[in-house]
This record gives sequence, structure tokens and C-alpha cells, in this order.
Amino acid sequence: MDERPGAILAMDTATGEVVIGIASPDGARLGLSRWPAGHRHGEQLLPAIERLLSETGLQRSQLTGIVVGTGPGAFTGLRVGLATAKALAHALGCRIGGVPTGEALLVAAAVDAGLPLERLVLLMPAGPSDRVEVRAGRPARRLAGGSEPDLAPDDVLVAVDLAERAPADAVARGERARAGLGEVLLRLGAERLRQGGDQLSELVPEYVTLPRGVAAATGEVAWSHDPR
Amino acid sequence: MSGPLLLAVESSCDETGIALIEGGRRILANVVASQVALHAGTGGIVPEVAARAHLRWIVPVLDAAWADAGVSWNDVGAVAVTRGPGLAGSLLVGVSFAKTLAWAHDKPLVGVNHLEGHLYAAWLLDPGDAERDEPPFPLVALVVSGGHTFLVEMQDHLTYRLLGQTVDDAAGEAFDKVGRLLGLPYPGGPSIQRAAEGADRHDAIFPRAWLRDSYDFSFSGLKTAARRIVDQARADAGLPADGSQPLAAEVTAELAWGFQEAVVDVLATKTIRAAEACGARSIVLGGGVAANAALRARLAGEAEACGLPLIVPRPGLCTDNGAMIGAAGAWRFAAGDRAGLDLDARPSLPLAER
Ligand SMILES: [Zn+2]
Repeated sequence: MDERPGAILAMDTATGEVVIGIASPDGARLGLSRWPAGHRHGEQLLPAIERLLSETGLQRSQLTGIVVGTGPGAFTGLRVGLATAKALAHALGCRIGGVPTGEALLVAAAVDAGLPLERLVLLMPAGPSDRVEVRAGRPARRLAGGSEPDLAPDDVLVAVDLAERAPADAVARGERARAGLGEVLLRLGAERLRQGGDQLSELVPEYVTLPRGVAAATGEVAWSHDPR
Repeated sequence: MSGPLLLAVESSCDETGIALIEGGRRILANVVASQVALHAGTGGIVPEVAARAHLRWIVPVLDAAWADAGVSWNDVGAVAVTRGPGLAGSLLVGVSFAKTLAWAHDKPLVGVNHLEGHLYAAWLLDPGDAERDEPPFPLVALVVSGGHTFLVEMQDHLTYRLLGQTVDDAAGEAFDKVGRLLGLPYPGGPSIQRAAEGADRHDAIFPRAWLRDSYDFSFSGLKTAARRIVDQARADAGLPADGSQPLAAEVTAELAWGFQEAVVDVLATKTIRAAEACGARSIVLGGGVAANAALRARLAGEAEACGLPLIVPRPGLCTDNGAMIGAAGAWRFAAGDRAGLDLDARPSLPLAER
């Protein structure tokens, strides 16, 4: 009988910094690794996962759950992250839990600032000019270039990947929030997995940042078992 | 070739395909989720929508392939995946998925060029098919689809000499654009073929771009001419120029026939000329446009007249699918090709590069 304890692996590829982490099933951190994403997620993610596993002395067969950040964020990163996480969960026969990256960043920012979640407003980029606004408990929404979020007097702005495109104090809060993303991702992910996780097939990235004019298509695809 | 079982993943454009192929030829499973219906509303592929659909359907496609094949990971010798060319976001889904599967199951990984996949579709055998000889080398292959139009010579396995390619649009793209001009549904290839079959008269003349003696192709002039001819037909019928009212069905049919004939004429003529010049022993046709009945019939007739076998995979193997990647991947695997965990998508991967 295998007495080795299980572990969960989390990854987020939605922002300008990739983060991966390994935790015990209750979310307690065993290892973390983060690096600037550049445009090379596709090359770097799996080798980094392999490295982190070996650093923590774990076998991949010990993974009992996979956690993945679902955005909003960079298209390229999200595709690599979701595809990698899905293949791993499928191969290992374990649960997958999607954690919205925006929500995790809000939580990390709240911890960092010692503020209630409701007071924070997160901004992330959506292409070269637009931004995405994320608030706790509400669907993320797109802010067209030039328009500003509607802030109550108490609201505190947090900006991730928006250097020069948001106030400096918001950008600084964003940097600190992202430094805590891995930890929060593991904690929220462990919770999500405990609740049963997500449907492996149906998990897709949050796409509030689709190009303007393109509705998120929900139509069916045509199936073929290639009948002869 | 007898050889290992490959699990193959294809996601370069708008079909998610996963197949299990034995010995580079025998299909055990070949499941495809096609997004054509998803993109019909926009009249073309929206890359962001395509990539997301790949993410949504790749696991169900994999599960269906396993169920069809009735084998298990223990039987698999390697994982093959399309690394390019194609849409960057779409390719990335398949590459990330396939290499993670390979890693998690301790299987070797092979990166495959999508274009050589189209060539190797000619090697595939359906589950019930009797053994059949491989296409004899040297061969000349024409690959035509919405994304590619090229002629290539193969002296041997994995050895390609590009003879010519389109200098502007792919043939399939021209079908889509002219289909739209004629008010026919997307995708244009099947629509134009269907319309053309209804033509009673066959005297619509569309221009051919021969580009002198080269084996290159050009379809942009044909597209411009088609616009002019369709506009003229509208004016002659007293219809508004904006296309808000359809042309009479018999006019649409004749124009569809004329356009299709022009495309088929150039493709077939150059292919036969190339086969003769190369001393080819067989001709292979592949790509989505190879499903076009007029092109198949014309090439079959001309190849027979030259005494050359024409190998055209059935339509389901001409459009993008995982089986063709499994076939090409098997020969690469046999040749010792192995990809690392850092394998990345290459949207503009040329055919010759191994
Ligand atoms: Zn293709």
C-alpha cells in the first residue's frame, strides 16, 4: 500500500509572471516557483513543473489534484496553462480545480493591504489599450481604452501588468498582490478541489478580453468518429 | 512498416483531432471535433474562438479516441503532435496537451509538421481495409486547403523538395471568398461544388494564372476577376450591387462552375506537368480541397492517361485530422526524431525543416 501523502499542484499563466506551486491537500505550501512569462510559456511550463516536483521530493503519481488559474489574462499563457493542467489531470486521473486569477489576485491584495475584499478594484490589461476590471463577487468586465473604473471614495485600486497605464500606487499594490498569488492559488485551489473541483472537459479560460466585436461563441462543434 | 502504436494530436487550425495509429498506417481511432459551425457566423476562423474551442473539446475527443480504439496507454509507443504551421493559439493547445500527456505517461514525444501530415494521409489504412502497398517513390504531391496550396516531390520518406506554392491566397481561401461573393454558405468549397453541379451551361470563363513555367500558384487575380464577373452578372440582372438580393440559381450555378473549373484546371495541369518532369511513379493529393469532386475526377483522368497511380485519401482523411499526424509521426519516430519537454508551437514552420 502506498503510504506517501498526496499533494496538489497549482499553476497560473494569466499574468506577466508565471507561478507554480505545490501544497499538501489542505493547501499548505510545500514549494513555489515564479518567473517572468515572456512569450515562452509553451517551452518553460512543463520543465518548470518537473523541476519543482523534484525539488520538493515528490513523484508526479503523488499528485491528487491540479489547480489552474483561469484568467482573465494573456491568451497565450491561459491556453498553455489550461491545456497543461487538463492533460495532467487526465493522465493522473485526479481532480482539476479552476481558480479565477482575478479573484485570487484580489484576495492576495486584500491580505497584503489588510483591507476587506469589497474595497478592492483590480485592473488587468486587455490588449494594448483596453483594461479589465475585476471586483469581488461580480463578473469581470472590459473597460474600453480611455475609460476609467467607477470608484467609490473608499475603493482601493490594484493594477497588475499595467505599468504606465495605471496610477503608480495601484501598480505597486499589484506587484505585491502578484507576489502572493501562488500562496492564495494553492489555498483557494485546495478548497475548490475539496468541494469536488471542476468538470475536466468544460473548464475553459475566462475570456472577458475577446477582441471587440467577437462574441464568445457557444455553438456546438461537429463531431466525427470518422465514419467510413 | 510495422511499428509501434502512436497517439497523435492535431490542433493547428479549427479541428481538434486525436487518433491512434498502428505502424504508421492502420487507423484504430480517428476522432475529430470540427469548429466549422462555430465560425460560420463570422465567415472565417476567429483565432481566439478557435483556441478556446480546442481547450473545450480536447479532453472529450481524447476520451472518444480511447473508447473507439479499445487499447490502453500500455500499448502506446509514442505521442505525436502537430507543432506547426498553423494558428499560434490553436497549435499551443495541442502541443501543451500532447507533451504533458507524454510526460505524465512516460512516452517519447514526436513533433510533426502539419503539411507532411497531409502528405502521409496517403499511407493510412482504415480498420477493415486490406493491406495495400505504400505509394511508390518518387512521388509528386499536391496539397490544397484553406491554409495551404503547394506541390512537393518526395524521393523517399521525410524527404521533401518544394516544387511550387501559392504566392498569395490558398485555393481553399479563394473558394471561401468567391463563395461569399456568390452568397453561398461558409465554407465555400463544398458550397461551390454543390452549386456547380447544378450548372446547365458551361461557358462561364474565369482567368487562369499560369505564372509561366513555374509550379507556383496565384489565386488573387482570379478572386478579383470573380468579383468583377459577379458584379456584372448582378448589373445584367438588374439586381442591386450590394448583394442584398441573390442571383438567379442558374446564374450562381454557372459562375460557381466557371470559378471551380479555373481552379481545378491550374491545379491539375501543374501537378501532371510536375509528375512528368520528376519522373514520378505516383501522385498524391491531400488537403481539404482534395475533397472537391471536380478536382479528384480531373486528376484521376489525367493521371490514368499518364499511367500513374493517383492516391487520394477519402475526404475525412483529407481535411485536418489526427490520423495523418500519427502516420507522419510514425516515420519520424522510426527515424529517431524525439522532442523534448520544451517543444514549442511553430506557426510558420516550413515543410523541409525536420
Ligand atoms: Zn491542413
